[in-house]
Amino acid sequence: MRYSKAHVLLFLSPLGLIVVFMYAMMAWTTYVSLNDWVGMAPAWSFTGLSNYATLFRMERFWIGLENNLLWMVIFIPPTAVLGLVLAYVLELSGRAEALFRPIFLYPMALSFVVTGTLWAWMYDPGSGVINSLLEAVGLKALSQPWIASPSQALYCMIGAAIWQYTGFAMTLYLAAIRDISREIIEASRVDGASDLQVFYYIVIPNVRHATMIVVAMLTLFSLKVFDLVWVMTMGGPGNSTEVLSYFMFVATFRQQLVGLGAAISVIILILAIAVVLPYASWSMKRLQA
Amino acid sequence: MKGLRRLILYSILGVVALAWLLPMYVMLSTSLKTPREVALGQYLTPPSSPELSNYLVAFEVLKQGLLNSVVVAVPATVLAVLLGSWAGFFLAMLKFRHSQTVFFLASVATFLPYQIILIPFTQFMAALNLFNTQWGLILAYLILNTPMAALITSTFFQMIPAELQEAAALDGCGPVTFFWRILLPVAQLGIVSTTILIFTMIWNEFLIAITLTQGPYTQMATPVLAGLKGNYAQLWHIQMAGALLTSIPPLIIFIFLGRYFIAGLMAGTLKG
Repeated sequence: MRYSKAHVLLFLSPLGLIVVFMYAMMAWTTYVSLNDWVGMAPAWSFTGLSNYATLFRMERFWIGLENNLLWMVIFIPPTAVLGLVLAYVLELSGRAEALFRPIFLYPMALSFVVTGTLWAWMYDPGSGVINSLLEAVGLKALSQPWIASPSQALYCMIGAAIWQYTGFAMTLYLAAIRDISREIIEASRVDGASDLQVFYYIVIPNVRHATMIVVAMLTLFSLKVFDLVWVMTMGGPGNSTEVLSYFMFVATFRQQLVGLGAAISVIILILAIAVVLPYASWSMKRLQA
Repeated sequence: MKGLRRLILYSILGVVALAWLLPMYVMLSTSLKTPREVALGQYLTPPSSPELSNYLVAFEVLKQGLLNSVVVAVPATVLAVLLGSWAGFFLAMLKFRHSQTVFFLASVATFLPYQIILIPFTQFMAALNLFNTQWGLILAYLILNTPMAALITSTFFQMIPAELQEAAALDGCGPVTFFWRILLPVAQLGIVSTTILIFTMIWNEFLIAITLTQGPYTQMATPVLAGLKGNYAQLWHIQMAGALLTSIPPLIIFIFLGRYFIAGLMAGTLKG
């Protein structure tokens, strides 16, 4: 189809303006992080990297960063593995898919605020669901303080996220398994391969593409997780479940240390860019080829 | 052997399915119980008689929030999908020299965490006198979701055969006519999936909603629900009724338009 320069302008300027605006705001945040801005009205007094220096001396910052990294390490592998296993089992069981797929996927339709409200109650040590169920089946000894314990709360929250995201991983893996050529699987079956052997030797190596997507998306989620923390624990007990995004919000909008908050944002940005840049160029190559 | 295999497969599915349904079951049954029943802690027992008044209490608190969510999410979604697909069409079908660059820059902007633009966003909204207004939220979600809409629709548009364009061009159809008259109707699956994904994302969003608005008149449902946890602490039946009320639109979409929901979810990763 023929098009003119005017068409380029016509079609791409709305998106172009928005994208330019977003980059300008990122640059603005970065510049704010170099200023000693305290209070809600803009206060420009250039202080170089001193916000970062302050940040690196704060224990609270390191706790947040460590918790973000723990999120990645503890949230991603079980979600991906369970998603892949469920996808393969669904594929093997044939007709059951229509029944089970929505059951595993529906949490993805819920807001994290809903998930947080629900799971905060599941994990409540006094009248929560999990402890009540344990008591009902005579396993009261296994009761835990769950969300009220500084050493368990983070893992509890990650448990809720696994519940929410496994269906997402499963859906991507299911599509990837369907893309594996039928002949390869049929041929290996004729050669006597068991389900487990097919899984190990054929499925796992052939869904690498989906694994990349799942890991990238879950990593980004782990970096920006905020809602669950807000709703379930407000970062507590103490600040045992605080993550960078939560610290950023509190520093900026509660303590009004805007320069410091901007510095935390920039650190989140740098961590996210490490995932987003390769992912975006990878997607672009495939889609715009 | 065949029977055993099936037994194992179905056991795995069954056990995980029970674990996945349990939270929804207790949420639903508790939302229909009286406080006295809830206090017994027997969460597996269904309510003796459905206590619908819980929903009235929760609705009373949430109704303004739910209304605000509709007032914000619907126009923001429609505009983002329109502006996004407008550009997505060009990126997918009329590749020009810098299509790749635009695509790349838009996808970076799409995937970066919102935190990075939160501070300038609040200043920008304050400068426009849009802080704590629904217009401000609509504008914010429009800006944040248009790049995503462009990318997703462009992945759908790429599946449309090039012949369609060529045939239209032979009939003297220009890009603008082609977009409105041919592409949008033909690419329905893609447009509906994108709309559903973006609507659900906005409806469920929390960080922007709680940053740009305060107080009961302008807040969307998610911050109000989060506040419910403070005001109705330990009143699980009210909290669960509120959580379910907030979930109704996305769950209805999931149940009745599941195919589109899944297509949107997958396209949202730029899976291609």
